Amino acid sequence: MEYPILKNKRVAHNYFKLDLDISEAADFPIPGQFFNIRCSETTDPLLRRPFSMHRLIHAKNSVLLEILYQATGKGTEWLSRQNRGESLDIIGPFGNGFIIEDDVKNAVLVARGIGIASLYAIGEMLLKKNRATSVYIVMGARKKERLFYEEECGKIGKVFLYTDDGSKGFQGKAPDFLMELLKRKSLPERFTLYACGPGNMLRELAHISERFGFPGQVALDSHMGCGFGSCLSCACPLKPGYVKRYKHWEKPALQWSEDGSLVYSLVCKDGPIYDIREVDWDEWTA
Amino acid sequence: MSGLPDLSVDIGQMKLRNPVMPASGTFGYGKEYSAFIDLNRLGAIIVKTITLKPKIGSYPHRSTEVASGFLANIGLQNVGIKRFTEEKLPYFDHIDAPLVVSIGGESVEEYVELAQILNRQKRVDALEINISCPNVKKGGMHFGMDLKVTRNLVTRVRDATEKNLIVKLTPMVKDIRPSAEICQVCGADGVSLINALTGMAIDIKTRRSKLGRNLIGGLAGPAIKPFALYLVWQAGKTVDIPVIGIGGISSAEDAIEFFIAGASAIQIGTWNFVNPTITMEIIEGIEAYMVENKINSLTKLVGTIS
Repeated sequence: MEYPILKNKRVAHNYFKLDLDISEAADFPIPGQFFNIRCSETTDPLLRRPFSMHRLIHAKNSVLLEILYQATGKGTEWLSRQNRGESLDIIGPFGNGFIIEDDVKNAVLVARGIGIASLYAIGEMLLKKNRATSVYIVMGARKKERLFYEEECGKIGKVFLYTDDGSKGFQGKAPDFLMELLKRKSLPERFTLYACGPGNMLRELAHISERFGFPGQVALDSHMGCGFGSCLSCACPLKPGYVKRYKHWEKPALQWSEDGSLVYSLVCKDGPIYDIREVDWDEWTA
Repeated sequence: MSGLPDLSVDIGQMKLRNPVMPASGTFGYGKEYSAFIDLNRLGAIIVKTITLKPKIGSYPHRSTEVASGFLANIGLQNVGIKRFTEEKLPYFDHIDAPLVVSIGGESVEEYVELAQILNRQKRVDALEINISCPNVKKGGMHFGMDLKVTRNLVTRVRDATEKNLIVKLTPMVKDIRPSAEICQVCGADGVSLINALTGMAIDIKTRRSKLGRNLIGGLAGPAIKPFALYLVWQAGKTVDIPVIGIGGISSAEDAIEFFIAGASAIQIGTWNFVNPTITMEIIEGIEAYMVENKINSLTKLVGTIS
């Protein structure tokens, strides 16, 4: 599908916000789902790039999709040069979105960098569902200059900032900061975690979730060839025992090893949202 | 010229209404594309390589993009022949397009057993023997690089099945001509080429392969097209059976180059990922080219390089 660009503006550093008119779409996304956008007019860059939904706004006569992205390579840099009035070749939405459980009173969103894009969506959705939900946002980056979107996040919840070098907020990485906040009792006793960021960050968050017993959902980032379950590039190892016991999400693309000791899912079909307990983090980050 | 041009092509006893097929491994089990295209309009459908036992495939971080190319190590992940025949094959009962099943194995015996099993499946029109996968430790490309193994394997599979037989060749050989010729001599109804080239990409920050623990992968996409065209041209001059051209085709123009070089039909690989409706666009583009150039039958275009 071709969707017209309404706006494509830098919001900070190399972060951009893209507004698209997707009124003509057959399907609208839910938080956590993604679109695959062609970011090229030639064969280089070649493949589409996946972008998670940031916000979906139903206006009077149109439906607006907002995508928050970071221009980090040839494809996303091309995208950042596209202007209002032009159209983008987009397929999707694809994948499983976040599961919105009824009893979430407290939500803790943990993001690094651009990871905030899809987490903001779930925060907003939880509030839409129940205005009494308390949202806590742990967000950060390498250094102060790379922080962005904290003001917007402040509108949906309480923001806790961290930077690797300590130039603003807590000095350290997200998992250390989460531990610190738990120790300080800055977060409620019971909450659901939603996280998006690098694999190592998610792995450490998974350890903390196991230790403290809070549930969580994570948004995984992976190299994808197609986005719709055909190329099998985005295999993500899961814990067989967990997959057999719990069936929260529909997982159409699971592939078991012959002896049943290993199971791979596809991030594009079975994810990109996973239960934090089901991913085999050591294999994923190996 | 009156009426529409004739795009049909025969491979063995298999009649294709047009020369456009998806390449194995880029089209899932077919159904994945039903949301995008009418599968019936394809010349034939080729599903991903099936092995005797299910295969979980390669370690995660299986792919990376390179200049105009896709480098991937999937490791023939597939559901295995049992689940394929029970769960995937019935989907094709309501589709008319010919069905080609790609088969792979770690030994000649495994290929033979797969051929025997599929020989009993009425819905299957042809087998494509994958002796060119660069990403498995046993079998795959290693078979295709060895002329003796190729001869033995094609002969044995030919004996095991009455289905039409295509052999998918690896470009990782000194000379493609003997490989193609042996397939013809041993009774293949067609050869398809090229499968992916072995390649690497390295992250200079971490000094690790961009394919992680997999280290190497198969290079596909537009980057390999000139080389593929060259090998198709060579194979076309060598054998009388149909040559099916594969390698970086992303447009009708690319496909037509392959026909002129000597391909009777073509397969689209990586570009299915970029544009899942590309097969339809290429069929229409070929037809338009034939109308414009007053070519009433595609067979008249094949191998016409001057």
